[in-house]
Amino acid sequence: MPRETRARPTFLSGPSRLALLSFLLLAACEGRQSALVPGGEDARILGDLFWVMLAGAVVLWFGMNGLFYWATRRSPAAHSQRIANWLVILGGIAFPTVTLSALLVYGLSIMPDLRATGDGPVIRVTGEQWWWRVEYEREDGSTVTTANEIRLPAGVRSTFLLDSKEVIHSFWVPSLGGKMDMFPGRVNEMTLGPERPGIYRGQCAEFCGESHAWMAFEAEVMEPDAFEAWLEAEAAPAVTPASAEAARGAALFLSQGCGACHAVRGTPAVGRVGPDLTHVGSRHSLAAGRLGTSTEDFAKWVANPGAWKPGAEMPAYDHLTGEQIDAIAAYLEGLE
Amino acid sequence: MERSDQDRPSHPREDEHEFAEERESLWRITLGPTIWAFHFLISYAAVSVYCFKFERMFSMGVLRIALIAMTVAMLAAIAWIGWRAFLRWDVRDTGEFSNPEGSAEDRHQFLGHAGFLLALVSFIGVVYDTLPLIILGTCR
Repeated sequence: MPRETRARPTFLSGPSRLALLSFLLLAACEGRQSALVPGGEDARILGDLFWVMLAGAVVLWFGMNGLFYWATRRSPAAHSQRIANWLVILGGIAFPTVTLSALLVYGLSIMPDLRATGDGPVIRVTGEQWWWRVEYEREDGSTVTTANEIRLPAGVRSTFLLDSKEVIHSFWVPSLGGKMDMFPGRVNEMTLGPERPGIYRGQCAEFCGESHAWMAFEAEVMEPDAFEAWLEAEAAPAVTPASAEAARGAALFLSQGCGACHAVRGTPAVGRVGPDLTHVGSRHSLAAGRLGTSTEDFAKWVANPGAWKPGAEMPAYDHLTGEQIDAIAAYLEGLE
Repeated sequence: MERSDQDRPSHPREDEHEFAEERESLWRITLGPTIWAFHFLISYAAVSVYCFKFERMFSMGVLRIALIAMTVAMLAAIAWIGWRAFLRWDVRDTGEFSNPEGSAEDRHQFLGHAGFLLALVSFIGVVYDTLPLIILGTCR
């Protein structure tokens, strides 16, 4: 009887599939939201911890599999009681005790560095559904309010006072350090010491409802001078509309009642329910990392926020004409 | 009293005597883990209360020294319990690692073995509990 051969439809053979998988995994290690490409002191310490643990795990994996191979293939016969006893004493008691002790001491020894007190700006971040309220507390007692973006000076430790309005969120910029939960009615303090200027991505890391996955932000690390200049500009009131269309948009913004929820400092809009929009045009993203910052993005958002962020509290403004929405978008984009 | 069966003078009510001793051993093997549990509870509670209420009033130094002194005393107690259990196990004289036969003497030695191992793990546990106090020594 001839042997039946059946061709299996395969997309890739075993080894290439493995190679593709490892490539995909490696690709995830790069980019602006990777804990393995540190942009600061804390992420570097945590990265070292990861590599130490990984190296140890690889050694243990080979050791265990080597023993398994030895016991099943090389020397499958029964071992003497004496050897078995010593194997249990050394491999089962002494080795784990020494290894775990060393890891515990190492882990504890790096904790003080991660919990060092801040010597830079103090930033109050409050988790909302689903965006971030950001308030810089300045030395003169004043506060600079912004949203969905955090800028930090490189080379100093910034202090974060983390709070939440309704549910538990978690504040995490993987490239800059570890995460910390935000609880309603309780202020958690953490510090981060960014070193490398750049734009990193932060993400809410505790499931908080429908649009949890869309609750992100940019964290831009700047040279200290540039940071001071930015904060100064951020503290200033909004610019006046530069074009006729933007001026029409500003009027519509107020007549449509947007100012009941949003503040645009320097105008009658003083709402505190939604994000402060005073300088929304200078941010790196719109709606907590959901959209870009083009006029079209602003228009898309104003027309129907729920389409981009399910469950968002902001109502759709689809009763406005396309022209009116474009005018509002032009106004907002101009708020730099 | 650690003597093998041969040395022991025959007791008028041998079984009853042995039973009493086993009952005592059963209690004794729990001593190590009990000390460990109390060590954890006391350390955790003391540091929590200090960090919550008194951090700004006085430094942690006194509390730290007191807890480390408590740790040393507890480690000494566990070491002593472990040593007594090791003698009861009597592995050096009999060479019997496990005692599977189930005779009265076997049970006696088995309880020593179990007590020794529990004391060992309790000792390590108490050392682990104390490491943060030694290395960190802060509420942060």
